[in-house]
Amino acid sequence: MTESPITARAFFERVRAGQLTALKCGSCGELAIPPRQLCPACHTQAWQPLDLRGEGTIASFTIIRVAPRAHAGDAPYALAVVKLREGVSILGRLVDIPLDKVGVGLPVRFRPLVIGNQATVGFGPSSAA
Amino acid sequence: MRRVAVIGVGVTKFGLHDRTSAELFAEAAQDALTDAAIPATAIQALYYGNVVGGETEHQLHTGPQAASVLGIPSVPTTRFETACASSHAAFRHAVMEIAAGVSDVVLVGGAERVLNVSTAESTEYFAYASDAVWEQPLGLTFPGVFALIARAHMEKYGTTEAQMAAVAVKNHRHGALNPKAQFQKQITIDQVLRSAYVADPLKLFDCCPFSDGGAALVLASEEVARRHRKPVWVLGSAAASDWMLLGDKRDLSRVPATERAAAAAYRQSGLGPRDVDVVELHDCFTIAEIVATEGLGLFEPGAGGRAAEAGRTSLGGEIPVNPSGGLKAKGHPIGATGAAQIAEIVTQIRGEAGPRQVDGAKTGLTHTLGGNTATVLVSLFGRD
Repeated sequence: MTESPITARAFFERVRAGQLTALKCGSCGELAIPPRQLCPACHTQAWQPLDLRGEGTIASFTIIRVAPRAHAGDAPYALAVVKLREGVSILGRLVDIPLDKVGVGLPVRFRPLVIGNQATVGFGPSSAA
Repeated sequence: MRRVAVIGVGVTKFGLHDRTSAELFAEAAQDALTDAAIPATAIQALYYGNVVGGETEHQLHTGPQAASVLGIPSVPTTRFETACASSHAAFRHAVMEIAAGVSDVVLVGGAERVLNVSTAESTEYFAYASDAVWEQPLGLTFPGVFALIARAHMEKYGTTEAQMAAVAVKNHRHGALNPKAQFQKQITIDQVLRSAYVADPLKLFDCCPFSDGGAALVLASEEVARRHRKPVWVLGSAAASDWMLLGDKRDLSRVPATERAAAAAYRQSGLGPRDVDVVELHDCFTIAEIVATEGLGLFEPGAGGRAAEAGRTSLGGEIPVNPSGGLKAKGHPIGATGAAQIAEIVTQIRGEAGPRQVDGAKTGLTHTLGGNTATVLVSLFGRD
């Protein structure tokens, strides 16, 4: 009865501090975005936290123009599924990238973001760009 | 396992209503009982789909609520919530209850009411079907989920916005033949392409509407079904799930849950995609229809957009898809959708679909997708 070594709350506390964290299976090497109780590849529980570099490329993106009420003031804004260099992917809000410059394959870098007092995942321009 | 048949179907008109979802269900259910020529006293259980009743109507406990309003308060009820696939999930469990010999006659239904709240509110409630901790705080919407799928499909296969528009035009053409459809008017490719972006690359006319409506099905064991006119047999019914988080989905251009559910339903029925004469599938967005036609094996991965544009999925084409008008034109009262799709396929197999009848339809398939593609159900139907 052990909890995931990185809970959702711990993940977002680390996000707020500027760090993206994954779980790495000590048994088979599978990577996962927390929280995850069992490894989906080998179904053991041998997770170790892994600090991600925060660098990746856009796998897909959209520009939200009709937003939920809480985000209406932000629209239009871009969301992207970013494939991180280590191999895991995560959805994030794009910041400081002009909407007409967003494209699949664009390199981006993790940026902690606070939306409505909630820490969440952002991505800004890659430092290499 | 015992064979199971659909012996009665009922669907309300979809669109704006001034009645509760339970009232909409009850209207559809009475029509289904009349269609089945069976008394309400024969019903042994109700399996019910409803999604956002808690948000839009402040109503939970919608199973007994629906049974009470119909007037069969003492039957056991269970409410299913698998986002937009809810009443298809309810259907599958009802099939299992009859197949297992627990009951002989089970009512399946679903209903939804959302047009009593603003579009901004319903957009928010529908987004609850995505992850509340990882994705909702980013401002992800339902169109946003399918926009990410569309962009991945366009990148991988060269699918175009015009091909997606062809799906909307086709489904509106079909919907114009369906008196129960929310939109009974044809549209043009140009109208779709000129409509405003909701979540690029999806535009307003790529999206199904918000809808109120109800649907119901009477299911029966073979022994009971043999006494009724034109039973339509359930040849297979399967469910599959997939990761909730978009980032965990390995290839956004595909819906693995569709592929898994279809494989299981085909295996149960001993049929394959070539044996299917008519399909009702989950076109919540135009790209969803394209990806579903590929996942169901009707076309190769990447070929769905071209197939739609070439008219291969139109009434009169080689495999008519969504003769009812689909979610796009018929409407999408999310709790009712799965049952309504099954009602259409039953009507088609009976040969009673009037101007939208697929000639000689003997075998039909329904496909219903839940939310962020994490739930899919596929069922197959046929006649003697």
